[in-house]
Amino acid sequence: MAVMAKKGKKEVPAMSTSSLPDIVFMLLFFFMAATTMREVDPLVQVQMPEAYEITELDKKNLVNIWMGKPLGAKVGEDALKIQLNDQTREVSDIRDFISATTVTKGVGPKDIVVNLRVDEGATVGKLTAVKQELRKAEALNISYAARATGNN
Amino acid sequence: MAKSKKKAGDINSSSMADIAFLLLIFFLVTTTMDVDTGMKRTLPPWIDPTEQQNDVDVNERNVLKVNVSRSGAIMVGTEEYGSNDLRRHGTHSRLSQEVYNFLTHLDRSNKKATEIDGMTYDVSEGLVSLKADDETKYKVYLKVQDELTHAFSLYRDDISFLVYGAKYDELDDIKASNIRKAVPMKISEAEPNDQTKK
Repeated sequence: MAVMAKKGKKEVPAMSTSSLPDIVFMLLFFFMAATTMREVDPLVQVQMPEAYEITELDKKNLVNIWMGKPLGAKVGEDALKIQLNDQTREVSDIRDFISATTVTKGVGPKDIVVNLRVDEGATVGKLTAVKQELRKAEALNISYAARATGNN
Repeated sequence: MAKSKKKAGDINSSSMADIAFLLLIFFLVTTTMDVDTGMKRTLPPWIDPTEQQNDVDVNERNVLKVNVSRSGAIMVGTEEYGSNDLRRHGTHSRLSQEVYNFLTHLDRSNKKATEIDGMTYDVSEGLVSLKADDETKYKVYLKVQDELTHAFSLYRDDISFLVYGAKYDELDDIKASNIRKAVPMKISEAEPNDQTKK
């Protein structure tokens, strides 16, 4: 009993923090491995719509086309802009963009998937114009970018 | 001289954690974790408007026409649907239920004997023809696409269950592609009327 009493009175030693850097480094490496660098800065605002029936897209042959209002657009101004790589372009530039991309990627236009990141406030007419250009460029595999319903 | 003989003290490593945290936060900010997700579609090949087109003959009863107006009202066949009919109640919305019924019911669309993995099954020949006004909001348009896709997914699940006894999602790649081939997602989009319009 005497031994017990003595133990109880003893103060708890301070927790060693020497392994804290190791833990943080572990987290760091996890994030470095699990994430990708943001490749292009968006120039247009794209609020992606929600959908249920979505699939994960393979990054390898993915080509992004953004469509939305330019950043910093005034309220009420609704000129939709198209962003290819890191420039805002016109619909008529899409064909050149696709052929340039197929050259750099070294694949045919049928092997790439064009990911259309379209703002939910955009109109279908503009989207149709883009799709017509893609058809002319023979880039027939497209995907409508969307986020899972319920997720932000 | 006395100074140089002095043993170098240990470097205080207590700030190591701070440095690591700083790096961690830097990477958290500059990187993105999100995987690209989207709804895959295949566009029809480009047809030169000046060329003579030979239209594909499709039996009228196998086509379900879906029209979306600029205000977001939806016409399915002759019935009118609103935005509420796109909302899911459980696993269905009214629209996806309607399309699913169209695919499954014999009195709505014809069935065609289709060979899947050596066996023959009856698969619907139904296709959905989607037409949207140029001024329709993309949000509504994609929601409609979503519900149409959902109906086809449910139908694929049915066929997959019949053939392999498992849901489409649970199949391996070969079996899944067999089902995909047998039950194509037939959502056709009408050719835009005025092609010169931007």
